[in-house]
Amino acid sequence: MKHSAAEIINEYGPFPSAEQVHGLTYDGKHVWFASGDRLNAIDPADGKAFDSIEVPAHAGTAFDGEHLFQIADSRIQKIDPKTGRVASTIPAPGNGGDSGLAWAEGSLWVGEYRERRIHQIDPETGAVLRTIQSNRFVTGVTWVDGELWHATWEDEKSDLRHIDPDTGETLERLDMPAGTGISGLESDGHDRFFCGGGNSGKVRVVRRPNHAQANRQ
Amino acid sequence: MDSLITAAAHALAGGDPLGALNFVALRNDAPALALRGIAMAQLGDLTRAKTLLKSAARAFGAKEAMARARCAVAEAEIALISRNLTWPTKALERARITLEEHGDRANVAYARYLKARRLLLVGRLREAEEALVGLESISLAPALHTGCELVSAGIAIRRIRAKAARAALARADEAARMAAIPALMAEVEAVALVLDTPAARLITKGEARPLLLDEVEPLLASDALVVDACRFAVRCAGKVVPLETRPVLFALARALAEAWPADVSRETLLLRAFRARYADESHRARLRVEIGRLRKALRGMADVKATAAGFRLALNRTGEVVVLAPPVEEEHASVLALLADGESWSSTALALALGVSQRTVQRALETLVEEGKVQAVGQARARRWMTPPVPGFPTTLLLPAPISIG
Repeated sequence: MKHSAAEIINEYGPFPSAEQVHGLTYDGKHVWFASGDRLNAIDPADGKAFDSIEVPAHAGTAFDGEHLFQIADSRIQKIDPKTGRVASTIPAPGNGGDSGLAWAEGSLWVGEYRERRIHQIDPETGAVLRTIQSNRFVTGVTWVDGELWHATWEDEKSDLRHIDPDTGETLERLDMPAGTGISGLESDGHDRFFCGGGNSGKVRVVRRPNHAQANRQ
Repeated sequence: MDSLITAAAHALAGGDPLGALNFVALRNDAPALALRGIAMAQLGDLTRAKTLLKSAARAFGAKEAMARARCAVAEAEIALISRNLTWPTKALERARITLEEHGDRANVAYARYLKARRLLLVGRLREAEEALVGLESISLAPALHTGCELVSAGIAIRRIRAKAARAALARADEAARMAAIPALMAEVEAVALVLDTPAARLITKGEARPLLLDEVEPLLASDALVVDACRFAVRCAGKVVPLETRPVLFALARALAEAWPADVSRETLLLRAFRARYADESHRARLRVEIGRLRKALRGMADVKATAAGFRLALNRTGEVVVLAPPVEEEHASVLALLADGESWSSTALALALGVSQRTVQRALETLVEEGKVQAVGQARARRWMTPPVPGFPTTLLLPAPISIG
């Protein structure tokens, strides 16, 4: 397993009118983050607020290219970002113990916090297709270039983990500095991770390790 | 944190404990226990709340210092609401430091607000103010903002600064409306009522009329000689002579001030100061000694002159002499003033807040119970004292505060 310190390359917030960041996602242009009763969009170029949607938003957020998915108490709501309207609702697999949310390969991936696991579910029905066990409290979940990454937050420490989706084995780990927890995780599809900073109210950007270089060594 | 915990926390912050319980009522993991405890506290079941918070603190792992610190802050608030003023303040301070190290700004502010509230209750106004310093510059959640402004208003009221109190109260009102929590709005209204209730009676030239706190402030700032029967002191043009520990001198000063500019007979003075029904030669001698002492105490403010029948106050310059008396005069008025908040107090907490011994408080409570003015609930150590709110009852001017003005 590769193991190194996470490199934070940028930091935004805290934002007025959003005390905490519970989950976040990236729609290719803006970072959307959940702050309890609202989804907030910010521009990662300058960290400026861009838009917001009044909707219960208690944990993970995801984007499938068209809709936003947002965990609210024990449900997952599908939201049209243009109108802010809730298109449909499915039950969350952790029955409210859910934390992170990601969309990939036609499925939703849901982190269940204290149970330390990740569920792959059907975005239409909410049916659980598969469950991957981790060994730390799972917060955010994301997929990038066929890699499954998740964030952990346990005993006041956080790290980012690249895991084998079949076995749950940790392949790579990036430790966050002390005092910087991760409540939500999303990749920008390239070399950056957006990380929700929980009660710090911040959104942090962490560099994804350079794989081309790593493979040559 | 997971989704339901966040949802419950959100409901609690919005003053909706039942909504919060709907989310976590059936869960027994540490964060759920903590939230259930806080919900119970908001619903008024303080005993259950305390138990839940204690088990939450135990359920959190040894390394989850921040979560445990938050439990400690919640426990401190419950102690404060149940008027348990002997609750270990060091635990709250430790929790505050832990939260500060973890960058939990909202709860650091909460811990400081609780500290200030306790200090206000026990009359340590300067320290209460210090605990709040800097909080006004951070953007606080509306509910916490309301609380902080109420503490500021409380400090201003006890300092007899009506204008500052009204300003703080207006800010509290605005914040409470933003928070949209009915209990908070009711709390603001209760404080507003205190400001609109006579705080004292003004006695001058044999006549009495009620005074609002707004009128007390300019009176104390004027050049009148004020014999203050609320705080047992004589004040004049910014100078204060405390007579709390000299009841005979104060009784004489008050009798003379009430009659001013006329004089008071020796018989009346003996009755007021020594409760002597008749005067013999030794009483007269004692009166002469005490008048001499009073003359010395008031030097620079007023003189005490002998007349044919007795004595009178004479001002060194032009100005008035007035007596500032509590709106209702009771022997144990300061105890009643504290109980007027409608909470149930332990005798230990009353003693702490008034800065007197517990035995003194117990004696006062016994008398008040006999007179039917206070009620006791519970037995032994769990015994608490309360009074139905009496309209127009003296409150703020009788509560502990530094004697100086300005």
